[in-house]
Amino acid sequence: MDRRGGPPPAGLAPGAAAAVKFLRQFAAVAAVVAVVVLGGLAWNHFAPSLPGEGPAAGGRALVVRGHIVKGVRPSGKLRPGVRVLPGGKPPPGVTAVTRGNIRSGIPGLMLGDLLEPVNLAVLRQTAFLEAAVIAAVVILDMGYCRLRRARRAKT
Amino acid sequence: MSVSSTPSPAGTAPDRPRRARVAARTRLDFWFDGVILVGYTVSYSYGWTGVVIHEWLGIGLGIALLLHLTLHWDWVVRTTRRLISPRGHDKLIWAVNLALLFAMTLCVASGIAISRVALPELGLYTLQSPFWYRLHVLTAEVTVGLVPVHVALRWRWIAGVGRRLLAWRPARRPR
Repeated sequence: MDRRGGPPPAGLAPGAAAAVKFLRQFAAVAAVVAVVVLGGLAWNHFAPSLPGEGPAAGGRALVVRGHIVKGVRPSGKLRPGVRVLPGGKPPPGVTAVTRGNIRSGIPGLMLGDLLEPVNLAVLRQTAFLEAAVIAAVVILDMGYCRLRRARRAKT
Repeated sequence: MSVSSTPSPAGTAPDRPRRARVAARTRLDFWFDGVILVGYTVSYSYGWTGVVIHEWLGIGLGIALLLHLTLHWDWVVRTTRRLISPRGHDKLIWAVNLALLFAMTLCVASGIAISRVALPELGLYTLQSPFWYRLHVLTAEVTVGLVPVHVALRWRWIAGVGRRLLAWRPARRPR
């Protein structure tokens, strides 16, 4: 499938050859992705449990996504010491919404949350997490390269 | 992933500041991958986007993932063939990419399986089982750890292309 630098298929214009190559590669990718998805379906069918969990018990699991105020109980009431601003808005930097439904395991729709500036802290947190991991890997990679260069220089 | 820095051909305005010449394919890779990274970051921030944007962005990311893999399929084939060679760095990148392929594919697939806005709007019914919810959360957590590693392992290429794409060269003085 790797035809880089090779001649285009006979009888095809260069543009058409590139399109054929792209379609061939796309088909290969789609096949790989389909295999992974089928693997997921088989997992669900034959052993519907995830690492670190028992078998899926019909709807008892609490699915939680987003940034949650730790003081919020599943009932939606705040623990002592946790304050919510007037108007039902959470304190700045947090979203005081329980994302789960104890009975069904299905999070609420939260249609009112769309791009609220108060929830930008969630985006900031994700970006910060990613930046921290990138920085750590770059530092490790640079250190590893320096070490290898130093070793090579010694020998 | 080739970057050409050849000077602009004769006849172009010599006294105007210009960007370094970068191959079209390299430019496409750089900006497309940047958009995917930003899209993923926004999509992961479910608490900010809400379910509607999260779902449509997730479907878009699924399509982008297919295109990203197709554009880099040559690399996948080449590196898979060379896996027996002793180069450790490529092996690490290959392993991270494989894990990311599994995690992101399952994340998008489970997200489609539990869709409550996007797919029903298209007239498609979805599975609403706790397994797919938990798989979606688990794979999202794995993906948010792997995506920055995937990006960071290519930091030299990103830094090199980014410098050429974003830095203005000083204007040439007319003789």
